[in-house]
Amino acid sequence: MSKKRAVILHTAIIFSFILVSLRLADLMIIDHKRLTEKAQQQHIKVEDIQVRRGTIFDRKGRELALNLELESLYCDPEALTADKEDIKKLASLVKKEPRRILAKIPDEGRFVWIKRKLAPEIADKVRDLEIEGLGFVTEAKRVYPKGELASHIIGFVGIDNQALEGVELKFDKYLTAKGGKVLLERDASGKTLSSGVNMEAKGNNIVLTIDEVLQRLVEKELDKAMEQWKAAAASAIMMDPYTGEILALANRPAYDTNRGGSVSGFEKRNRAITDCYEPGSTFKIVIGAGSLEEKLVTPNSLFDVSKGGIQVGGKTIRDVHKYGVLTFKEVIQKSSNVGSIMAGIKLGKENIYRYSKLFGIGDKTGIDLPGEVSGWIHKPERWSGTSLGAISIGQEVAVTPVQMLRAYSAIANGGILVRPHVVSEIISPDNRIVASFRDNDVQRIISAKTAETFKDILKSVTEEGGTAKSASVDGNLVAGKTGTAQMIDPATKRYSRDKYVSSFVGFVPADKPRLAMIVIVYEPKGQIYGGVVAAPVFREITRQALSYLNVPREDNLGQHALLVLR
Amino acid sequence: MHLVSFMLKPFLIILLLVGVFGLVYLRSNFLKLEYNLGELEKKKMHCLRDRKMLFAEKTSLLSFARLESSPSDQEGFVLPDRLKVVHIGKQVRSLPHQASLKQKQLAEP
Repeated sequence: MSKKRAVILHTAIIFSFILVSLRLADLMIIDHKRLTEKAQQQHIKVEDIQVRRGTIFDRKGRELALNLELESLYCDPEALTADKEDIKKLASLVKKEPRRILAKIPDEGRFVWIKRKLAPEIADKVRDLEIEGLGFVTEAKRVYPKGELASHIIGFVGIDNQALEGVELKFDKYLTAKGGKVLLERDASGKTLSSGVNMEAKGNNIVLTIDEVLQRLVEKELDKAMEQWKAAAASAIMMDPYTGEILALANRPAYDTNRGGSVSGFEKRNRAITDCYEPGSTFKIVIGAGSLEEKLVTPNSLFDVSKGGIQVGGKTIRDVHKYGVLTFKEVIQKSSNVGSIMAGIKLGKENIYRYSKLFGIGDKTGIDLPGEVSGWIHKPERWSGTSLGAISIGQEVAVTPVQMLRAYSAIANGGILVRPHVVSEIISPDNRIVASFRDNDVQRIISAKTAETFKDILKSVTEEGGTAKSASVDGNLVAGKTGTAQMIDPATKRYSRDKYVSSFVGFVPADKPRLAMIVIVYEPKGQIYGGVVAAPVFREITRQALSYLNVPREDNLGQHALLVLR
Repeated sequence: MHLVSFMLKPFLIILLLVGVFGLVYLRSNFLKLEYNLGELEKKKMHCLRDRKMLFAEKTSLLSFARLESSPSDQEGFVLPDRLKVVHIGKQVRSLPHQASLKQKQLAEP
């Protein structure tokens, strides 16, 4: 009996082993592929390596653009269990109408965004609702901690961090990094194990030439000018005349960079490089410097402008005030149109065109911001009978503010045409210099002697008897030139009678310039002249900028001493 | 000799059992460590997130526009009065220099 039971027991054990072996063979050999895939789906989670754009710094290392980690809310429609009340609560938290949230959720599918990049406190409140089928994904949000400051330089990115404007756009390939995917192991409860992989890919950092303080000073004074003159727009650029480093660049109206996606094109326009205007008298730099370089005039050459007008191509061009006989220096100082045209006639069409091109008129400056336009000046063969007179006083020619500033910087630095730029260095996340600005194509356009002579003439513009006394700064000499130009009325295609562009462009201290700057006010109301509208803005900005930059006064009026060691 | 062979068998069995349990113990510890590391990484990400948030707030609070708008007798910014500044030492640098942060730690938080 016991032997029989033993046989049965042995048979059962053997049979069981055979069954187990067969099942194992089924699992491990026959159904191996399908089960492996299933196991991988359950245990392996594929996650994106998050790409973080590089930080943008000003020239002193102050952060102008950085990243935050925020949570984005998504919904799995098939798993969603929310009732109407839940949706209502959710809608009030994410500030959307309930019907708009419901409209977003399809009947099938496993993923739909509800709201991207929520503030942490809102995300916590949504989490507290404990609605099944809602989930969070961490995303990087680009933030601009200085708000409106330098908005036209920095630019902004879209909801998916895609570059849309400014340095963000121009240097996108440096600021971003390649992402990729990483496989993470997780257990049955969904807990992930350490991957040992860095889950972030960082882009390069960018150091701008901009100085936050100077930028703020420029923007503040532009705001005041807009308010005072009820102007349509305004621009100002401050540049180091020796290197072309842009220290500040501002336009009005401007916008908060954090809301860049929702502002109008009018506010987004970087007028300093994308808008052309007729420079008016500021263009006399080309005529003046060209005439001096060609030795056609000296500062003391005499021009009889007593008639108050001059006929060119059948058209009479007049001075604002009547003068008698002026020296060439006085022609520039008082901005005599008649005198300037006389000098232009001496210089001749070909030379005017040649010097215009040498000063960079009609060509892009190459500034490292998107959207720059070239402006224009026609070739002499296309000039009409009146062109010689018109161009001599800055009409029939279109320039951008940055072009004019570059031209004046050439006088400031002794005759070299520099390339304006806003990016100084690109630095990798591990602090290596990836790229550094080097201007290898600087070009001498006039002799140092001519630049020095014309600089002296420009100094007289801000002295007693000049058109821009209001640009002078206590303690330092300012060299510059005012400009007042009529705008073209788009309706009549003729010069407007009431729309003007007032400008002042100059540099300070005149003999050893630390900064060159242009100020342009579009359509000021009440006053139109550059010496009244734009020159005081120049003075206010430079007064504060010289103090900030610790530039010594040249008049030695100091009474109390605070020692600054250099 | 007989005693050695008598002791060897149980010793080998114990050794085998200890070895098996040791392997299981090590494996479970390894997994536990991986879990702990995963948790720590999560915590690190949270801390980094908070740090970035605080850093952005600090940057915003230190903006020149804000300092300037504060009353000058408190933390407000006042530009130096150039009449009260005397420059001594070497000749004042008139030539500009390139904007650079070579000496500055630029790593993002």
